[in-house]
Amino acid sequence: MSASEKVLAVEGVSSGYGAATVVRNVNLSVGKGEIVALLGKNGMGKSTLLKTIMGYLPVQQGVISLRQQNVTREPPHRIAGRGVAYSPQAEAIFHDLTVRENLVLGMPDPRRFDEEFARLCEVFPFMKDRLAQRAGTLSGGEQKMLILARALMARPNLILIDEITEGLQPSVIDRLGSALLDERDNTGVSIFLVEQHIQFALRVADRWAVLKLGEIDDAGECAAPSAAARIANHLAV
Amino acid sequence: MTEETLASAKTAPATSARPRPEWQRVLRWGGLAVALLAVAPFVLDTYTVNILIRALFLAALALTVDILWGYTGVLTFGQSAFFGIGAYACALVFTHYGFGPDWAVLALVAGVVAAMAVGALIGWLAFYHGASPLYASIVTLALPIVLTQVVFAGGRYTGSSSGLSGFPTYYWDLETWFWVAGGFLTVVTCLAVLFVRSDMGRVLVAIRENEMRCAYLGIPVPRIKILVMTAMAGVGAVAGFGYAAFTNVVAPELTGFLLGTELLIWVALGGRGTIIGPVLGTVAIDVTSSYLSGSLPFVWKLLIGFAFVAVIVALPQGLLPELGKALRRLLRQTPPPSPVPELREKPPSNIVDHGRTPLFVEGVARNFGSLQVLQGIDFSARRGELLSLVGPNGAGKTTLIRCLADGMERSGGKVTIFGRELGRWPPEKCVALGIGRKFQAASIFETLTVAECLRIARFRLERFSVWSASPILDLPEAALRIVKETGLADRLDIEVRYLSHGQKQALDLAMVLALEPTIVLLDEPTAGLTKTERERIGGILTSLVERDRLSVLLVEHDLDFVRQISSRVIVMHQGKIVLDGSVAEVVDSELVREIYAGSGHEAAGVET
Repeated sequence: MSASEKVLAVEGVSSGYGAATVVRNVNLSVGKGEIVALLGKNGMGKSTLLKTIMGYLPVQQGVISLRQQNVTREPPHRIAGRGVAYSPQAEAIFHDLTVRENLVLGMPDPRRFDEEFARLCEVFPFMKDRLAQRAGTLSGGEQKMLILARALMARPNLILIDEITEGLQPSVIDRLGSALLDERDNTGVSIFLVEQHIQFALRVADRWAVLKLGEIDDAGECAAPSAAARIANHLAV
Repeated sequence: MTEETLASAKTAPATSARPRPEWQRVLRWGGLAVALLAVAPFVLDTYTVNILIRALFLAALALTVDILWGYTGVLTFGQSAFFGIGAYACALVFTHYGFGPDWAVLALVAGVVAAMAVGALIGWLAFYHGASPLYASIVTLALPIVLTQVVFAGGRYTGSSSGLSGFPTYYWDLETWFWVAGGFLTVVTCLAVLFVRSDMGRVLVAIRENEMRCAYLGIPVPRIKILVMTAMAGVGAVAGFGYAAFTNVVAPELTGFLLGTELLIWVALGGRGTIIGPVLGTVAIDVTSSYLSGSLPFVWKLLIGFAFVAVIVALPQGLLPELGKALRRLLRQTPPPSPVPELREKPPSNIVDHGRTPLFVEGVARNFGSLQVLQGIDFSARRGELLSLVGPNGAGKTTLIRCLADGMERSGGKVTIFGRELGRWPPEKCVALGIGRKFQAASIFETLTVAECLRIARFRLERFSVWSASPILDLPEAALRIVKETGLADRLDIEVRYLSHGQKQALDLAMVLALEPTIVLLDEPTAGLTKTERERIGGILTSLVERDRLSVLLVEHDLDFVRQISSRVIVMHQGKIVLDGSVAEVVDSELVREIYAGSGHEAAGVET
């Protein structure tokens, strides 16, 4: 887990919608096999930053690189082609396709479906009997799990996850946390997650950062005993 | 530049010099248009004036397409039919019955009434509850085709394929005709601009953006669409009447599908959803086409085609919005901030206590094909009760909420609200009984501002003006508190698509409470909010229950939150109710721990 090998590096990045700047001069990096959590209140620009990294929003200033390669102006499909999987916050599944078809769309090599799916069923047991069901008929929480499952199917080297715990039952959040940790230990994947759920973030991540009004306001190691209190302080009021 | 924009946007509501009323601005522009029109015939040559008169009538027709398509979101191919009805009313009456002021008025009235009747019929066919938008397009596509066949079949009476011409009409000089056409277009355009910027006009945009949400705000969407369709048919018929009286020729093409489609192209090129864009676009394209069709008889269609493709690819918004942007850049002006209404607290309305149970659910079931999602659901909710619905993902919680707010959703069972049985009612009728439902994902109107969204939510309780936007926004106390405490009050003029996920959720909740419901169904209202915001909303909900005696049914995953605010908890598992009891009984029960909570919750519970 050498921090020198940066899978994702964001340097002095500003971005936003149209002429408005939402994210300002953000610097952060995610090393190989590292999990970094970004926290912050609503409207501070967390999701905007993820969308910018993924290439959905133009970078106004700064440089984004993936494994030392500058990808600042690349469109989303090229970024995905570099092994980045994105699990967005809002509904992002194909409602009229089946669960299986949704999962296959996330894979560069669909022939490996059975193998990868068997692995995922340990995390999301409900999917086993639902492969042929139309994804739009899944419940809200199940759809969220499907989004993450699709990201994992791709065997990515970096996963961007936007508030996965929202709308999930507590026991599933637990299982998800373990699954992400296992995935990292087994495959060495790097994970960058945006969260509101402080306990979940601290349990899963190695490092944390807080975004305030589009700027990184504070950051630290998750293992530090003061982490929870410091983050809670930033998110209060 | 950006900072200037932000600064001016921020200070605007504070300085709050009451902006000039919309009608004054419209009147000024209308006056300018009239002045231009008054001079034009003396400056331009006869040929141009001749083409312009026809273009002015067609522009009025394009405007009706813009209101239907650009604002209401109804992709219509059929506006030419109403234009044709007006034109044929003129030609038929003047040819077969007589000519004179009386006959002219009669013909105009007959044409407008016939067009509106057909428009109402088409609207009724196209917009019944649950019809897909595609269906409206197909019906309006069929209409001009059918009508053209009717004209063909009319023999001598309609002139069949060669149409009618040479009938007696008003042979005024060109200037007079020009002023009549220009005056008509100016009046219609001014009224249309006032209309689309009024509170009622915003409702049309809301329908375009999210029809389902409109229904759940108690807005009778089918009725409004039919009314708009009918009114636009009438305006189209007047334009057609003028066109026929001026050109002295009517042909089946005037009712045809080709004209109906060309209208869409003109509107798209001009800039749909801008009123002025389609009007100017139609005039410009029509005049250019007439010139080019003389000098380049075949190539001009190709040119128009290329221009269309180029605009759609490069400027998907159409020409006018881009021109506006370029002009502003040139003059270094920032766009004027959209006017923000003043927030005001509405005095609480007295809710009469009939003593009846608000919500009584008996044996409700829901199947999707062979899949049983809900079975045998029985429970009731009392006044002043906050009922939490918990259960694993996929247990059927959202499906149950849906069955309570839309009469078409149940496969079986009975839902009774304040003693009235919920039949197969659409959501807008359920809302009228006092039900307010918040969807799981924030469901709002992306291109409207925060203030406009809140206004739309008041539709059921207030009279919406067709000509103006009210400068004051009355909200019940609970909705107002949410707006203020989540920072939305400072962002009233922001289009909601720029809000963060959590702010969208808060806005959605405020909209539900702005409906002043007596039974509130909330599907994860605090998802995506921070703990602090969540606690504040919890406080607002408890006060609604305790002070205003509402019944709240809440789907929630955060058991600590449930414990804090609920008066009763229902646990669902695999489509059935497995537990119904007090907070203490349910949240700490073995069953809940087993099917739901997981170790994290337990551990947290031990720690605190």
